[in-house]
Amino acid sequence: MDKIDLFKLHKADYIAPKKPQICNVQNAHYLAIDGVGGPGEENFNDAVAALYAIAYTVKMTRKKNNLGDYVICKLEARYWSINKQCLSEQDKSQWHWQLMIRTPSQVKTSDIEQAAKVLATKGKTASVNKVKLIEHEFSQCIHMLHVGSYEEEHRTIEQMTTFASEHQLSATGEHCEVYISDPRRIPEERLKTILRMPVNS
Amino acid sequence: MQIKMIRKKTQQSYIARIINVVNYIQKNLDNELTLEELSQKANFSRYHFHRIFSGMLGESVKELTRRLRLERAAIELRTSTTSILNISIAAGYESDMAFSRAFKAKSGLLPSKFRKSEQARFPCLSLSSIRYVTNEHISSFEPFIDKELNMKVMIKQVNEILVAYVSHQGPYEECGHAWDTLCGTLAPIGLLGGDAKMIGVSYDDPDIVAPELLRYDACISVDEIFSTTDKIGFQTIASGHYAVTTHIGSYETLNETYQKLFGQWLSQSDYESDDKPCFEIYLNDPESTEPEELITDIYLPLKEKDNG
Repeated sequence: MDKIDLFKLHKADYIAPKKPQICNVQNAHYLAIDGVGGPGEENFNDAVAALYAIAYTVKMTRKKNNLGDYVICKLEARYWSINKQCLSEQDKSQWHWQLMIRTPSQVKTSDIEQAAKVLATKGKTASVNKVKLIEHEFSQCIHMLHVGSYEEEHRTIEQMTTFASEHQLSATGEHCEVYISDPRRIPEERLKTILRMPVNS
Repeated sequence: MQIKMIRKKTQQSYIARIINVVNYIQKNLDNELTLEELSQKANFSRYHFHRIFSGMLGESVKELTRRLRLERAAIELRTSTTSILNISIAAGYESDMAFSRAFKAKSGLLPSKFRKSEQARFPCLSLSSIRYVTNEHISSFEPFIDKELNMKVMIKQVNEILVAYVSHQGPYEECGHAWDTLCGTLAPIGLLGGDAKMIGVSYDDPDIVAPELLRYDACISVDEIFSTTDKIGFQTIASGHYAVTTHIGSYETLNETYQKLFGQWLSQSDYESDDKPCFEIYLNDPESTEPEELITDIYLPLKEKDNG
């Protein structure tokens, strides 16, 4: 059985140029976990760990049971604020986020429930119980590759905002990211992140 | 300043010890020497001796031996009337054809041409400055990598780590099966994720052991032993001090970092390697990470120092 690699299969969604570009990300399945607070804070890191624990447990269990193999996709995140305010004007503690890992449609809710059950019995973080399976459609977005620290994203975002107004598109207020590099070890200045700005025409 | 002087001193001591080995090889050029014998000559522990040797010289014991034999043959060609066939045999070749091919590959000339040509230079064949010498001891050499040491190494005290493991013997590229068996057994019972570490223990130096004989254990750290299939074993990774460096890039180039760690860093440190295998901790997933972004921590076991 061939190994499914959604990242390569949907290249258009995950290869962004260094200039703003319009893309359209179709409906897809994701493992997801929600939370509130600044990225990199304790509950955020705990959610990342829980999401990956579920992702690898489901993948390896399905592989073991001959249900097919697939590559774990990159981590993605959506950020928004409840009052639709611009995120940059909002205190980070008020940021709502959803962390996601794109997953083949063959993966079922029962796989996730089973994984959460075994992980919880082994004393892994209780947040595994918050991981769920969702379908999400980003639809029309402006995307662009950002190279550098997360703090410097505002420069990239400015370019995307300018691009949006030039093309008569309005941002929905949501901010999305695909983490291409591993922030644990890649130096800040080399971090690659795809920024996505969902827009309405 | 002081640290620099100590470094210099320890490197001198590593150099002096390696020189003993090199001289012993030159004196016994016609014998097949074992690594046990050679490591004893320089008071190195057998386990990691070869990595220190090749890391410092840029060539393996076999390559150095072959090269010294060729250099000796070049001198013979120029200074004696011994037949090329006899020189070939003395250099360890079965025929003058094989010898000629090897000689030409290294020097650019066939032995017969080399013999006749007054101008042809003696082949300069070495990465280090070690040459075959007829009447004296080799007294020093430039370590193969003499650039500034640009490698970050940390000394870490490691506590004993209990791991579940699956053994693999064969080329490193094929160890994926061992990982599949291990992950396939541990995932369904909730043992992946959290702080479970992915650890590889490699027992052999790929420069001297044939790929099909390389021994490797795929390991995942666990809190306790549990009953499972007989494919899975349990062992502990010994506690103690380790020199730790991070390799960034493809697993195929791991060996270069090992060479640098042993040949460059260790030989300039005041540490000795211990007779235990090195291990590696894999910090990302090779399936979904570009090879150039793979991160691996390499742990080299060190002998405890006597005087604290």
